[in-house]
Amino acid sequence: MGACLDNVPVGQTIRVRAVSLSSEEREWLGAVGIVAGEVLTVLRRAAFGGPMHVRTEDGGEFAIAQSLAAAIETESAG
Amino acid sequence: MTAECHTDPAPEASKGGEEQARTGLRVVLVGRPNSGKSSLYNTLTGGNAHVGNYPGVTVDILEADVALEGGRTATVCDLPGFYSLAATVDADTDEGIARRFLDAPHDGPRLVTQVIDATQLGLGLTLTKELLRRGEALQLVVTQNDLLEADDRRLDATALEAALGVPVCLVTGRDRAARTRVLEALAAHPLGATSAGTWEPKALARSVIRSIEAGAPSTGILGPSRRQRATAALDRLLLHPLLGPVLFVGIMTLIFAAVFLVADPASDAVNWVMGLLGKLITRGLGNGLLASFLVDGVLGGAGTVLAFMPQIVILTVAMELLDATGYLARGAFLVDRVLRFMGLSGRSFLPLLMGHACAVPAISATRIIRDPRERLTTILVLPLMTCSARIPTYALVVSTFFSDRGALFRAALFVGLYFAGLLAGLLASLALRRTATKGRGLPLVLEMPSYRTPQPLLVAKKGYLAAKRFLRDVGTTILAVAAVLWVLLNVPVPGRGSPSDPVIERSVAAAVGQGLEPITRPAGFDWRMNVALVGSFGARELMVGTMGVILGVEDADNDTTTLAQKIRDAKKPDGSPQYTTRTGLSLLAFFVLACQCMSTVAAIRRETKSLRWPAFVLAYTYGVAYLASVLVYQLAGAFGIA
Repeated sequence: MGACLDNVPVGQTIRVRAVSLSSEEREWLGAVGIVAGEVLTVLRRAAFGGPMHVRTEDGGEFAIAQSLAAAIETESAG
Repeated sequence: MTAECHTDPAPEASKGGEEQARTGLRVVLVGRPNSGKSSLYNTLTGGNAHVGNYPGVTVDILEADVALEGGRTATVCDLPGFYSLAATVDADTDEGIARRFLDAPHDGPRLVTQVIDATQLGLGLTLTKELLRRGEALQLVVTQNDLLEADDRRLDATALEAALGVPVCLVTGRDRAARTRVLEALAAHPLGATSAGTWEPKALARSVIRSIEAGAPSTGILGPSRRQRATAALDRLLLHPLLGPVLFVGIMTLIFAAVFLVADPASDAVNWVMGLLGKLITRGLGNGLLASFLVDGVLGGAGTVLAFMPQIVILTVAMELLDATGYLARGAFLVDRVLRFMGLSGRSFLPLLMGHACAVPAISATRIIRDPRERLTTILVLPLMTCSARIPTYALVVSTFFSDRGALFRAALFVGLYFAGLLAGLLASLALRRTATKGRGLPLVLEMPSYRTPQPLLVAKKGYLAAKRFLRDVGTTILAVAAVLWVLLNVPVPGRGSPSDPVIERSVAAAVGQGLEPITRPAGFDWRMNVALVGSFGARELMVGTMGVILGVEDADNDTTTLAQKIRDAKKPDGSPQYTTRTGLSLLAFFVLACQCMSTVAAIRRETKSLRWPAFVLAYTYGVAYLASVLVYQLAGAFGIA
């Protein structure tokens, strides 16, 4: 089992394995473009536990709260 | 420059009925935020817009009629940008409004035109699938196609059209032919119901984007586009852990400096013109009551409204520029952690920033906040942000009581007042999130769009609309309050005082002001100050003008030096100064905190659809403002400040 997104180092590309959130929050993440199977690259983290900046495979870039990233399970993108 | 449109011709048999159906055709533009929707709207309508009237939709939805071939017309409506209709949480957010609009029964034919950014086709097609599932008659307009081509890729519109079963139109950034092509395509749309099909958005996007050289579908992960590479380079600087926040503070400071540098001369010019008009009226009508009403009441009110316009327009244009370039999302990213201390998130950044110009449009801008509790909290603390209407009073107090201090001290005091507003907002938000708006919030998910060059016309248009809305939402209130205030200041209470006393001292307003003295004395406010405060209950913009009327200074908005001197010279019956530095500090504390703006109260009522929250804002801001001014006045006294 891979790490959750909040623990993925900057610069690393991973695949979303599962999203452990309420269906409402999962749906919202899905609408934005972050779903199980999506490949994400961690671009940076804001200082002092601020949001994470990630890029999806399609080129969409998003800021995601750390608390949300902690609910996104990841696996190797390979 | 190309504009390529693929349309299925309407079946011959239905042509007659279709002719009729197309009369009153409503074209609804939808799309994700940053998809290029506003730009397409502008292209289609030539920048014409009026606010549509839709039952149940309380927000401004711009619409304009466009001519189709054969003398027919269609009404194009521009919905707010949204990601999904299915994942709606709050009916009052942008996506909730869009959903309500699409759900509402409509008479006449309707065509939904979805705008998709070609460089993010997979993300856009997720919304396409939702729209098709709803059975909407759909047309796709794929924008930013030039950016795709700049990266040697091309979208196969025929293949996309075949997979979706709806017409697809490709347009490029600044394409002159786009308008004609899109209009031709929508005129030819069969308007039939659609179905979702079995395709998967991401896989479909990959299969229709081809490399120009090879002509084969791009498979696997696409490399970053040119624009994304440029964005990444800029982000390395603008989101740098140390440089990023420094640049952010620099950009914000520049914006506010621009407001003061550019707006001040413009406001002075407005005041000068109003003064001139006033003199002309007085010359024509003499010094009677009618002239006084027209000059001091109506013209004074109109002058006050217009003097604020430059600030509102400049700040709106600055924010539009930040938004159009993509920097606004970066600002939200940088301040998210700070806003989380307040129980808010980066989503609240734009409304809070706008609140520094005027709370009224800022309250409307909270519709971008998806979390209902966060949205309500932001609405409730917005009246505490230092809006431009507070500035004249701050300036008057500073020039009256601190003119002997250095320029640096006065500037620091001004900055301190801005931060006092922010600090008050922080504390109010912390308190609200633990009480009235308690509960778990939705964590931040924010799109970080690629950097773009803003379109000057579009930005200018937004500035124009902001000015128009300010006149409508705030201007009319100020004008009405100014007129009522004139009556209260000029109509004497029968039997009050001796006829030789100035009318102002026998007026209804004076009676009210004196009645309030026992309550306001601990804060250092006498009846005159009370009258000005009661006058600015409706609109705090009127404070300086009202003080001028009370102290007999004509054209006080223009001539604050004389007014400052009059305030310093005012004496109590025992000969001691009526107003001192203590009074000034107390007044500043009151102005930082009190929601002296009926337009804001009305906006809160409109956005929360309740009387409870506007009443709550009035009660808590006035309660805290009174306590703070008493505390400041008494503490200043205790510390020996005169």
